[in-house]
Amino acid sequence: MMGARLLLVLALALALGTASAGTPAAPGARETPAPLQGANVAYDGRYTLARIRYTANERGNYEFFGDRLQVWEHDYPRSERHMARILAEVTGIVPDLDASNIFTADDGKLDEFPITYFCEAGFWGPTDKEVVGMRNYMLKGGFVIIDDFRGEDWENFLVQLGRVLPGIRPIRLDVSHPIFHVFFDVKALPTVAPTFRRYTPEFYGLFENNDPHGRMMAIVDYNNDVSEYWEWSDTGTFGMDLTNEAYKLGINYIVYAMTH
Amino acid sequence: MFDSLFAFLFRYPAVVFERGRLALDSGRAGWLAAALLAAAALATWSYLRAKGKARPADRLVLLALRTAMLALLVLCLARPRLVLSSLVPQQNFLAVLIDDSRSMRVADQDGRPRAEFVARALGADTAALRVALAQRFRLRFFRFSSAAERVDDIGQLGYAGTSTRIGAALDQVRQELAGVPLAGVVLVSDGADDARESLAAPLLSLRAARVPVFTVGVGQRALRRDIEIQRVDAPVSVLRGTALVVDVVVAQTGFAGRRVPLYVEDGGRIVAEQDVDLPPDGEPTPVRVRFPADSAGPRRYRVRIPAQPGEVVSQNNEQTALVRVSDRRARILYMEGEPRFEVKFLRRAVADDPNLRLVVLLRTAPRKLLRLDVDSADELVAGFPTTRQELFRYDAIVLGSIEASFFTHEQLQLMADFVAERGGGLLMLGGRRSFAAGGYAGTPLADALPVELAPGAAEGRFTPVKIEPTRAGRAHAVTQLAPTEDSSVARWKTLPALSVVNRVTRVKPGASALLLGRSDSLADDEVVLAAQRYGRGRALAFTPQDSWIWRMDAAMPVDDATHRTFWRQLLRSLVDGVPTPVQAVVAADRAEPGQPVTVQAEVADSAFLAVDDAQVTARVRGPAGAGQELSLPWTVQRDGSYGTPFTPGAAGLYEVALDARRGGRLLGTDTTYVAAAPSTMEYFGAAMREPLLRRIADETGGRFYTPAELHRLPEDIRYVGSGTSRIEEKELWDLPAVFLLLLLLAGAEWGWRRARGLA
Repeated sequence: MMGARLLLVLALALALGTASAGTPAAPGARETPAPLQGANVAYDGRYTLARIRYTANERGNYEFFGDRLQVWEHDYPRSERHMARILAEVTGIVPDLDASNIFTADDGKLDEFPITYFCEAGFWGPTDKEVVGMRNYMLKGGFVIIDDFRGEDWENFLVQLGRVLPGIRPIRLDVSHPIFHVFFDVKALPTVAPTFRRYTPEFYGLFENNDPHGRMMAIVDYNNDVSEYWEWSDTGTFGMDLTNEAYKLGINYIVYAMTH
Repeated sequence: MFDSLFAFLFRYPAVVFERGRLALDSGRAGWLAAALLAAAALATWSYLRAKGKARPADRLVLLALRTAMLALLVLCLARPRLVLSSLVPQQNFLAVLIDDSRSMRVADQDGRPRAEFVARALGADTAALRVALAQRFRLRFFRFSSAAERVDDIGQLGYAGTSTRIGAALDQVRQELAGVPLAGVVLVSDGADDARESLAAPLLSLRAARVPVFTVGVGQRALRRDIEIQRVDAPVSVLRGTALVVDVVVAQTGFAGRRVPLYVEDGGRIVAEQDVDLPPDGEPTPVRVRFPADSAGPRRYRVRIPAQPGEVVSQNNEQTALVRVSDRRARILYMEGEPRFEVKFLRRAVADDPNLRLVVLLRTAPRKLLRLDVDSADELVAGFPTTRQELFRYDAIVLGSIEASFFTHEQLQLMADFVAERGGGLLMLGGRRSFAAGGYAGTPLADALPVELAPGAAEGRFTPVKIEPTRAGRAHAVTQLAPTEDSSVARWKTLPALSVVNRVTRVKPGASALLLGRSDSLADDEVVLAAQRYGRGRALAFTPQDSWIWRMDAAMPVDDATHRTFWRQLLRSLVDGVPTPVQAVVAADRAEPGQPVTVQAEVADSAFLAVDDAQVTARVRGPAGAGQELSLPWTVQRDGSYGTPFTPGAAGLYEVALDARRGGRLLGTDTTYVAAAPSTMEYFGAAMREPLLRRIADETGGRFYTPAELHRLPEDIRYVGSGTSRIEEKELWDLPAVFLLLLLLAGAEWGWRRARGLA
C-alpha cells in the first residue's frame, strides 16, 4: 500500500514536472518521435527498456493524425522514459534513464535485453527472419510485453504468433496470477482501456510448452493499452488512479520477468 | 662363479670373515717379529752388497718382493686364525615365515608362480635348503597373510590370503617363540605388505629381543609387462545427477605408448569409456573420467582396463570406488539485493533439477523483500535469517548484488560460521554491491571469501571480459562444459564475454582460481571464479554480473545447455558433501569379511552444536537382508563423536542406517555403506618390494637374499643368528689363498729377474 501511494505521488510529480516545462500535451498532439535506430545504446550492465520494431502487414501503413507514424512505435519514447524513471524511483532496479532501444526481432542485439515491449499486434506482419528471431528470443528466455491491441487485431495476432511459436496457446490470466503480485499487490485487473473504451481488457500469458505453471514468455494485454497511461502520465490526460494501476502492472511485469 | 672361487681360495663362507676377529699366537709373537726383522735386514744387506748389473730400481722391486714373501711366511708361523661365535647345531630354533597371500601366485619367478619357488626350496624334506637348515636348527614353519599361523607342512599353504601384514606376523611369531632360543626368523615373501599399521614397532621389538630376520625376496623387482590402476579418487557423496569427475592414476611397464580403453562400470553397465595413452615405463599418468551419477543409492563404480596380451598380473587392472549418490534435495538460499536478470536465469537453470532447491530472497526495493520458492508461509518471513537454526537449515548461501550493510554484524558472523562450523557452501556473485564495492572488506565474511578484497575499492567500471579456465580450472568439475578436457577448453574459447564491475585480481593463499577474465582494458586478469575451503565448508566467488548472457547471446543456440550445465555444476559443488546434523562415517568404505570396521557418528543439533548425550543406534543390513542393531556410545575423545566396531560376515554390501535421539526426540538420521569384499590390494605394486624386505633385515640385524643367493642362508644364520652359541676358531695359515700368494710373490721375483736379464 505504501508503494502504491508512493507511486501515485511520483506519477503526480512526473506530471507536474513535465507540466511546468511546457503546455500539457493531449492525445493526438504527440511530440515528434526521437530519432529511432540511432538512439540505441549498447548494453552496459544496466536495465534498458527495449521495444520490437517489426514489419507491418498491409493494414499497418496508415496516416495517424497527419503524421506518418509506424505502428510499432506507438507511445515511443515517452512511455519508456517515464517507466524508467518510475522504476528507478520505486524499485531497486537500476535502469538507463536516458535511453531505450529499438530492435527488429532478427537483430542479435535484441538478445542482450531480455525484456522487450511490443505493440499493435493487429498490424504485425513479420518476415520469416523476424519470426525466427522472435522465436529464439522467447525460447532462450526473453520476455515480451505485448500491449496496445484490440478487437479484431486478435485474429492477426494469433496467426502471426502461430508462425513464431507453432502450437502456442495464449492462456487467460486472472488476478490471482503471481505476475500481478510480484511487486505491487494488484487487487483487481483493470476493466477500462485508456482508448477504445468499448473493449474490456483481457490478460493472457504465453507459457513455455503451454504449461500455465511453467515459464511465462510473454504477457499479453489484449483490449488494453497500458503504455498509453505511461506515456501520458506527465500530462494528467488520464485519471491518476488509472495511470497508477497501469504503472503497477508495468512494474510487476518487469520485476516478474527479471525473476521468473 | 665368484662364489665357487671364493670358497676354493678361502675355504670358509664370507660371513666368517665378516663376523670373525683375527687372532695370532701371542706366545710366539716376540721372536717371530725379531725373526722377521732379521730376515728383512739380511735380505736388504745381501741385495745391497751384491755386485752386478742390477740398477737401483730393480734392487728395490726385488727387495720388496722378497721381504713380502718373508713377511707372509713369518705371519703364517704366527698361526693366524679367525675367532667367532657360531650357533650350536640343533640347540636353536629357526622360524620360517612364508607369505601365504594371493600375490605369491604371480608368475614372475622365471615365468613360474612365486609360490612354486617356495615349494621347491622348502617344500620337500629332501630339498637342499631345507636339509641344510634342518641340520643346523630346529625348524618351525609358519604361514602368514593377515596373521601368522603355525604349519607342519608347506603343502598346507594355499596362497589365498587377501592381505599381507608382515609386521603383525613377525610380532606374532616373536611372541609365540619367546620362550625358546630363537636363532632368527626367515621371512619368505614378495614384500607386498598392505597393512595400515607401521612396521617400526614390530621391528623395534625384534631388535630388542635380538632376533634377526633373514628376508628372502621372491618375484621380480619390476614386472616386465603390467598395467596397473594405482588409484581412483572419487567424491564420497554427491547429489543425483551430478557430473562426477573421477581421477584415475594409471602406471605400466612394457606397454609404453600403447593406447588402451578404460571403462567405468556401474553394476555391469558401462557408464564411461575413455582411451588412455600409456605413459613411459614407471611413470604414472593421471586420467580424468567424467560421467553422470544418475542412479541414487550406493554406487560401486568399477574402473578397469582390460588385461592386455602378455600381462603378468591382470588383477591390478581394476579398482572400485564407492560413491553415495543421494536423492535428497539440497536447499540453497540466494539473497539478491536488486531485481536483475541473474535471478531469473539462475532459477531457470535449476528449475527442473530435482536435487537442487533455490530459495530466493530478493530485495525488490528498499525495505521490500520478495520470497520465491519458499517451502512454507513462514520461511524467511522476517527477512534474512538471524539465528543458527534458521540459517543452518540451508546447505549453501548465494549472495548476489547485496551490500554488507544490509546485514547486521551478527548476520555476517552467522554466515561465516555457516561455512566454517556448519560446513555449508558460500558463493558471492559479482554486482554493483558485491565484494569490496559492497563493503565486505573487514567483515567476518571477508575471511571466508577466496579472493582478496581491496579495502575501500569502489565499484569498478563496466568491463566485458573473455573467460578462460586456469590450469586448475581446466580439470575442475565445476568448469567442465564438454565430455573431455580438451573439448571443454575449446568450448570456453567460444563463449561470449560477460561483464564485471568488481575489480578482483587476487585469490587468497590456499584458494584456487578456476576461471580468469581477460580484457584489453584491464592491466591484470580478473578472477572470475575462485574457490577455497574455509573451516568445514567451502567458499566460492563468481565475479561476473550477467552470466545470463551465456543463455541469451545471439551466438548461443536455442538448445545450448552451457548456462544450465555451468550453474548446476557450480551449485552442486557448493552443496556436495555438506554435512547433515547427524553424519554416519566408516573408517573405510571397503572391509575384509571378518575384519572389524568402526562405525562412527558425528551428532549435532539443528544449530550444529555437538551433542554428547544422544542415544545413537545403527541398524546394519547385510547382503542377505539380515539386520543387526548396534548401539554407539560417545567416544569421549571428541564432542559429538560416537562409535562402535562392526564386523561384516559374508562378502557384500552392508547398509548402516543411523539415527540419533536426544530425550526421545529425533536429532537426525543418516545412512552409509560398507562393501565387504576380499581385497585385491595384494596385486597392486605386485613387483617384489626389495627396499621393504631389506629394511626389515637391516633393522633387525639380518640379511636380505634373492633366490640365487639363498644357498648362503644356513651358514649365515649360523654365524649371524642369536641363541645358544659356542666359540669357533678358523685357521687361516693353510688357506689356498695364502699358498697362492706365496707362489705369486716367488713367481713375480723370478719373472722380474728374467725380464731384466738378471737371472
